[in-house]
Amino acid sequence: MRKKIVSLLLTATVSAMLLAGCGSSAETAATTTDTKTATDTVEAGDTAAAGDVAMQAIADRKAEAEKTGEYKKVVISFFDWTGRPAGLDRVNAALSAHTEETLGLDVELQIIDSAAYGDDMKLMLSSGEQVDLFNTCILGYSTCINNGYVLDLEENNMYADYCKGIQSKIREDYIDACRVGGVLYGVPPIKDYAIETCAVCIGQEYLDGIGYDVSKLPVGDLGYPKATWDDINDIYAQLHEKYPDKHVMATQDNILTQGSSVDNLAGDYYGTLLDPMNSLKVENVYESDIFKDWCQRTYEWNQAGYISQDALTDDTGASAKVKSGSYMAMMACCKPGYKTQISGECGRDMVVFDVGESFMGSASVSQFPWCINQNTEDPVAAIQVLDALYTDPVIENLMCWGEEGKEYQVNADGTIKYADGVDANNSEYYPNVLWLMPNPYVAYVWEGDPLDLGQQIADFNDNCTCKSKALGFTWDNTDYASEFTALKNAYDEYAPKLVHGFVDPETGISELNEALKAAGLDDYMAAKQAALDAWAKENGIQ
Amino acid sequence: MSGVAKQQGKQMTQKRNLKRYLPLYLMALPGMLYLFINNYMPLPGLVLAFKKFNARKGIFKSDFVGFKNFKYLFATKDAFIITRNTILYNVIFIIVNTVLAIFVAILLAEMTSKIKKVYQSAILLPYMISMVIVSYLVFGFLSTENGFINNSILRPLGKDPVAWYMEKKYWPFILVFVSAWKGVGYNCVIYLASILGIDRSIYESAAIDGASKWQQIFKITIPMLKTTIVMLTLLAIGRIFYSDFGLFYQVPQNQGALFSVTNTIDTYVYRGLLELGDMSMSSAAGLYQSIVGFILVLGSNLVVKKIDPDYALF
Repeated sequence: MRKKIVSLLLTATVSAMLLAGCGSSAETAATTTDTKTATDTVEAGDTAAAGDVAMQAIADRKAEAEKTGEYKKVVISFFDWTGRPAGLDRVNAALSAHTEETLGLDVELQIIDSAAYGDDMKLMLSSGEQVDLFNTCILGYSTCINNGYVLDLEENNMYADYCKGIQSKIREDYIDACRVGGVLYGVPPIKDYAIETCAVCIGQEYLDGIGYDVSKLPVGDLGYPKATWDDINDIYAQLHEKYPDKHVMATQDNILTQGSSVDNLAGDYYGTLLDPMNSLKVENVYESDIFKDWCQRTYEWNQAGYISQDALTDDTGASAKVKSGSYMAMMACCKPGYKTQISGECGRDMVVFDVGESFMGSASVSQFPWCINQNTEDPVAAIQVLDALYTDPVIENLMCWGEEGKEYQVNADGTIKYADGVDANNSEYYPNVLWLMPNPYVAYVWEGDPLDLGQQIADFNDNCTCKSKALGFTWDNTDYASEFTALKNAYDEYAPKLVHGFVDPETGISELNEALKAAGLDDYMAAKQAALDAWAKENGIQ
Repeated sequence: MSGVAKQQGKQMTQKRNLKRYLPLYLMALPGMLYLFINNYMPLPGLVLAFKKFNARKGIFKSDFVGFKNFKYLFATKDAFIITRNTILYNVIFIIVNTVLAIFVAILLAEMTSKIKKVYQSAILLPYMISMVIVSYLVFGFLSTENGFINNSILRPLGKDPVAWYMEKKYWPFILVFVSAWKGVGYNCVIYLASILGIDRSIYESAAIDGASKWQQIFKITIPMLKTTIVMLTLLAIGRIFYSDFGLFYQVPQNQGALFSVTNTIDTYVYRGLLELGDMSMSSAAGLYQSIVGFILVLGSNLVVKKIDPDYALF
């Protein structure tokens, strides 16, 4: 009997909790709509001149906070690699203390583990939980637009009125690249939009082990040694001989994304621009020499024993593999400041060999813009915070690096390093996602990177010689979901073996292409071409 | 006169029954509530399967698109493969797992020694392990470089190592084996309980009549288990359109090379939606699976009822 009572109680508690859960969410939803109508009326009645509107909004919020004794809160969501940092509450308190002064509101960062970010955000965005600003990385910019999660930034002239800072920081053509169907749903983080393809990163200690002299190679534009694939093959052979127990290369399925200048039209590689600088013709990359050369290369590496026989099943990230000490090299793409980043990720000094070329694909700018939740309580407050994220060094420093004296300290030359007794492992705030931050170049620069890193990145972007003609075009595959799924299945079945060099490209590539064609590649490519042509016509691109 | 009396009598019994079972109803109430909240309240959300979800408009105000969301399940050439895999694997699982479960249940029931409990727990243990961990146990055996089978069995025998995760032909057996290993402990529990519930005097009289152990098993135990077998099989058939996601996704390590033998409706939908993140399409897939499952349960129950009404579920 006692057991029964216990189980009864348990069930009762569970149901009660469920009920409670439902109740509270319904309540929040109700309040959200209330306040939304309230702000709408305020906005409608507001006829101040554009320049003063922003100041007026801040003053209004401050006055209201004085009345109610409580500041409005804006929640900013993004992700890191390890989940909510231990010192987040402290950082949030410091942020709010600052923004109460400057913007008349509280700011709360909500940092979610990258593995959970996609699912958690989808739930929050569709259930009405408070998220005001968020980054669309992992979620997908076009997915967010298709599902109606994001707000049109130009609604009620908001972008013009409240985003003066963003307008001064980001070139207009980059902003335009984020428009989808003419509507601006997000603004891009300021980062390297161009990439330098094929950066082969090898641990310094292994190169020392084989006595390789890096200085005999010429130095490329980015300051990294410029190498050819023959140089790399030569190094690999020596590494393999010297360290037979280690795998030479941690291969990844990135030979097109990071190892080529093929433009995937902000979507997938089923139909690409092979020569994006000069032509808007959609072609099948898997029949091209670019893909074939790569497969031949990995096949030879695999035959030579450079690649782990479990490469297909082990989906650990390449940098984590190098960090583990059983792999010596990996391929990625690089940019100014990349050596510091990759050495940090790999936990050892890495030498970056620049084997590729610079490239700016159609998706490079609009890959993961920062957006405002359509459900936000106060769009004006949200967009003002968004603007401040691009311009306010105090906010950006807290967001990127945490608190001075707690997480970092400032060197004499103006760069920063870990505070005394703090390192990457015990720091209470070290999200390590600088490339995701709206504008990390108004914040401090980490020790080892040049002080003018921001300028260098801007130059790198501006000087990029291989800018895709389709820059700003986004392929939306919602109407081709079934074809896409079929193509993805065909790819997954035949391509990984090729990419990791387990099958002879002679036979493997034709198998892959047969499967892709059977899955409807030709129709899919035709649809892509049509969409691209329409876009080009609309934007006057020949 | 008798009509009125009957009527009164019926009311009396109803009242008495209500009073008698009230505590039971009360006890069931929280569970029913839970079921209602968890399984019935979300039912209106099924309209999502026929709409193009838009967060701005909300579930009920999104636009209707008819059966468009179902299209992708059937439009491709993969549809046949995933349906075939889902159904055939489930049929094999039902047969193999039932036979094994009954076999083990009989063994355990016949066992009289004290370590019976140890056996029972040990056999149940795999059921408690998460599929993710199982997938790594399997990987420990099958890894090309460091796997147990390649390193400790094939190499010493002078045979070439096998790239298990690239060869399709082994996987139907591996999956059936893993499923049986993981499920047998749990599946046999209900059979064991039924066997223990069989009146011992039947066995005693059979023994007196000179029936051997084999005869007792085949002539008494298995016929007595028939109802349980039919019921559990019916339930399993209801889920024939669902596949054990962990088994088909985690255990083959999501390897593309194995898709034609490991892809089921669940994994197909998951992979597709992982890329697309479309809520309407996932509801469509879920609705489709439930409806087919529902029809299958009703259908097989009807068939069983035709053959022998006593064995039918309802």
